[in-house]
Amino acid sequence: MRAPSVPQAPMLTRINVTSVIDVALVLVIILLVTAPMLDVADLDLDLPGAHTRDVEEQSYVSVTLGRNGDMAVENQEVGSVEEISGMLSSRLSEIGSQESLVVVRADADLPHEFVRRVIEQVRAGGAQRMAIATRQLEGE
Amino acid sequence: MHWQSQQTPLDDESPVNVTPLIDVSLVLVVILLLATPLAFESSIGVKSAQKGGKEATTKKQSLRVTLTLVDEQSVRVNQTLVARDELMAALEPALDETEERAITIACADNISHGAFVDVLDKAKRCGANGIAVSGR
Repeated sequence: MRAPSVPQAPMLTRINVTSVIDVALVLVIILLVTAPMLDVADLDLDLPGAHTRDVEEQSYVSVTLGRNGDMAVENQEVGSVEEISGMLSSRLSEIGSQESLVVVRADADLPHEFVRRVIEQVRAGGAQRMAIATRQLEGE
Repeated sequence: MHWQSQQTPLDDESPVNVTPLIDVSLVLVVILLLATPLAFESSIGVKSAQKGGKEATTKKQSLRVTLTLVDEQSVRVNQTLVARDELMAALEPALDETEERAITIACADNISHGAFVDVLDKAKRCGANGIAVSGR
């Protein structure tokens, strides 16, 4: 004698991946756009404010001088000022262009004498173009 | 007359799935929060000290303006000492007298980087074309 067959609900066999793909694509696009911005050292610093917006380049090599005197060329921390020229020179060689913009990001409270020594090292590292980073102020 | 409710095909549709929209929006918000401080950075182009110094020696005095930060609040425009707050008023006529509107900036050692950049900014706002940072 056969048991009566019980009707079963159809099994869910497909996973909805639409939302996963949405998020993944947005992440890829945003990471592509913000990747150049993330190539700077995360040191504690307060940039000096300025109204003018002079140099507009997405890609540059950054030299960061933190509030406590910490230094970094892009993401790599530097022990002394004298090391900056060597590290910068090798970085510019990797890029393959001495014409790349080098941006000096220095804390507003640092003495100019310290910043000037770093600028001299940047020049010694072979940088042809240089800019000083500022925090954009509103209005005139 | 008796109206019978009829089930239309629209009643079978499920509500709009807003989950992916919320996912994407939240990810955007978080990433924008992280990237905002970097987006408000800008920079002012300067010439290197040596390069600027060489150019300065080859140019006639009448082609450039020399700014010297004496202390945090005082700037010398060529030979005239002015307050930093009044720099733009003094610099504009001095730049008008030059042909290339070029500037060389010298700064004492103990001046803060913020004051130096403020002078750079004011020079740019006055219409300076090329700014060279002098060694000492």
